[in-house]
Amino acid sequence: MQAERGQHHRSVEVLASKLRRRQIVGSRTAALETLVVLRQVVSRARFSNFEQLVEIIRGVGRRLVEAQPKEHSVGNTVRKVLHHIREEYQTAVGQTGPQAGTSTSGFSISKFVLQGQPRRHVPAQKTEVKTTLKEDDPEDPDSFSKGLKPVLMEAIQDVLDELETVYDNVSKNARDHIHPDEIILTLGRSKTVETFLKTAAHNRHYTVIVAETGPSYDGREMAKSLSSAGISTFLVPDSSIFSLMSRVNKVILGAHVILANGGMFAITGSLIAATAAKAHSTPVVVCAGQFKLTPLWNLYHEYGAVDFGNPSDVLGFNEGELVNKVDVVNPYYDYVAPEFIDAYITNDGDHPPSSIYRLLKETYDDEDNEL
Amino acid sequence: MFDIHQAFRRSLQNPEIAYPLAAIIALTELIENSDAGTMFELVNAIRQGAETLKSKLENPIGVDAGCELFIAFVTLFHHESLTLTDLKRELIRQGQKYAEEAMTYRKKIAELTVGFIKDGSILTHSHSRVVMQTLLLAHQHKRISVFVTEARPRGLGLKTAEALIAAGVPCTVVLDSAVAYVMDKVDFVLVGSEAVVESGGLVNAVGSNQIAIIARAAKKPFYALAESYKFHRLFPLSQYDLPSHNSKILSFSSPSRPTRSASISRPAEDTTTASDPPTASASTNDTEPTSSTSITQQQICKTNPHVDYTRPDLISLVFSDVGSLTPEGVSQYLVGMFAG
Repeated sequence: MQAERGQHHRSVEVLASKLRRRQIVGSRTAALETLVVLRQVVSRARFSNFEQLVEIIRGVGRRLVEAQPKEHSVGNTVRKVLHHIREEYQTAVGQTGPQAGTSTSGFSISKFVLQGQPRRHVPAQKTEVKTTLKEDDPEDPDSFSKGLKPVLMEAIQDVLDELETVYDNVSKNARDHIHPDEIILTLGRSKTVETFLKTAAHNRHYTVIVAETGPSYDGREMAKSLSSAGISTFLVPDSSIFSLMSRVNKVILGAHVILANGGMFAITGSLIAATAAKAHSTPVVVCAGQFKLTPLWNLYHEYGAVDFGNPSDVLGFNEGELVNKVDVVNPYYDYVAPEFIDAYITNDGDHPPSSIYRLLKETYDDEDNEL
Repeated sequence: MFDIHQAFRRSLQNPEIAYPLAAIIALTELIENSDAGTMFELVNAIRQGAETLKSKLENPIGVDAGCELFIAFVTLFHHESLTLTDLKRELIRQGQKYAEEAMTYRKKIAELTVGFIKDGSILTHSHSRVVMQTLLLAHQHKRISVFVTEARPRGLGLKTAEALIAAGVPCTVVLDSAVAYVMDKVDFVLVGSEAVVESGGLVNAVGSNQIAIIARAAKKPFYALAESYKFHRLFPLSQYDLPSHNSKILSFSSPSRPTRSASISRPAEDTTTASDPPTASASTNDTEPTSSTSITQQQICKTNPHVDYTRPDLISLVFSDVGSLTPEGVSQYLVGMFAG
C-alpha cells in the first residue's frame, strides 16, 4: 500500500516539477500531461468508497495546481475528470444524482430555486453497468474500486479524446466564420488559431494580417506557417494595428484562459487589437478549446492576475548603460474584458461571452471550483 | 380570524428578516390556520392572503417576490400520496425550513463577494443588510474604505455609516448629488436590492439607477447583491412599469395660480405699462407665501419614488446565494423556476 502510494506520487511529482520549471509550455500540452498522470493515479488507486476516490484525485489536482498556478488548464482538466467520474458513478450506482430530487422528501423551496441552475441534460441512462456496486464492503474493500474502474478509465479516455481532437473540432466550422476575400487580423502564435485559419483556407481565399507580437515575436512564426500553407499573409509591426484596423473585416484571437465573466487572458497585444477593433466596430472572435474555460470570476485572484515574462526580451544586458536606470516589465498576458469580445468559437459550439458562465456550470461541478 | 398582515408585521420585527421572507413566513402561518378542505381551496386561500398582504403595502415588490415563490412551490409540490392534513403539515414544515435556511444566505453571499474585493474604496447606496455583512466581512481581510450615499428621502445611508464607523471601517457619507464627484475615487459600486427582475435588472432604493449610470460612464463595475428569494418575475421596460409607481409620484401640485397671471403672460399688452406687471407679480408672491416657499420634506417625499429600476446592461454581476451570476443568469433561474 505504502509503496503504491509512493509510486503514483512519483509521476505526480515529476509532472509537478516539470510544470514548476515551465518545461511544459502550452495549455493543451499541460492538460494532456495532467490527464495521463490522472489516468495512472486512478488505475493504481485503492479506495473503498467514492469519496475516497474523489479525495485522491483532488489531492493530485491540488498538488499540480500549486506547482504552476498560472497554467489554469491543469486545474480545469482535473475538474472535468471529476465531473465525468461523478456522472459515471451516478449512472453505475443507478441514482440520477441530486438534481432528480423531485420526490417529496428531497423537494424543498431552496431546491426549487435551484431548478433554474444550468446543467447539461444527461442523455438517457446507459443501462449496461448495473452490477451491484457496494461501497465500504468490509469483507472485500477492493470490490468497489474493481467494479468501478473500467467506467472510470472510460471517463478519462473520453476527456482525452476530446483534448486530442480539440483543434479539429474548433476548426470544423471555420468556413462559416471566414468569408471570401476577407481581411483577418491575428497576433501571436496560437495553435488553435493557426489550425482554424488553415482549415478555412481549404474553402476560402482570404488575407491574413499578422502582427509581430513583441517581445516574443511569435507573430513572425505564425506568418511563416500561414504563408507556407498558401494563405496570403502580411506581417506588420504591432504599432500599426490601429491604422490597419479600418481595412480589417475580423479580428481572430487565441486565448490563454477564458474566465467565467466572459473575459479572457490572452497574449500581450490582444487588448490593443481588441480596443482598436472596438473603435472601428470590427468583430472580435476568439478561438479556444473548452479546456481553457476556468471557473474564475475574479480578476484580483491571487494567481489569476498577470504573469510576467523575461525582461531581457525587452531590454537585454547588452544595453548595460540603461539596465541600471530603468525597471523593465514584460507582462505575458493581457486581460481582455468581455465587452471587447463578440464570440467564442470552441470545440463545443460558438458562444457569446455572456453565456460562458453557463458553459462552466455545465462542464464542471460547483464543489470543485476550489480543488 | 387569522390576520396575515399581523403575521407579516410580527416576523418583520426580527431585523434580520427581509420583506419576501416575511411574506413566506406569513403565508406558512396562513396554511397553519387555514381550514381549507381541498387543495384548490388551499391554493386559493394562499393567493387571497398574498393579495391582502400586497394591498396593504405601498411598495409590494419584495412581498410579491416572496409570495410568488411560495405559491409556485405549493402548486408544483408533489402531493399525490398525501392526505390534505399531511400535505399542509409538510408545506408548513417546508416553509419553516426555508425561513431557517434563508437566514444563512447573507453569509453565503458575503463569502462569495469578498473574493472580489481588494484593498481600496467602495461606494454603496442606502442601507442593505447583505451589503453590511459583506463589508464587515471584507474589513476582516482587506483594508477597505467606504463611501455611502445619504439616500434621500429616507436617509438610511447614515445608518450604514454609523454601523461601519462603529465597526472601525473608514466611512464617509456623500450626498446623492455628489455621486459623480466621488465616482473616480472608488474601485466599484456595491448595492443591495429590493428585487432582481427577469430582465436581470435591479429594483433598489431610489438613486441606484443614477449611480449605475455614472458608474458605467466612469467604467467602474456595478455589483448587486441579492438573496435568491428576491428574484422576481417581473419585466419592467421603464421606471413607470414598477408596481410601486402610482399617479401621485411625479405629479404636479394643483396650481393655485394668481388671478392676474393671465395678463402677465401676454407680453404684447405689456408694452404700454412696462413697470406694472413685475410689481404685480411681486405682490402676488407676497400674498401667497405658502405655495412657493414652504415645500416640506414630506411633500417631496410624497411625489417621489422610493425605489427605481436599473437596467441589466448597467449591472456587472449579481451575487446571490446560488452563485455569482451575470444579469442574464438571473433570468435563466427565473425561467427555470416558474416555467419548469
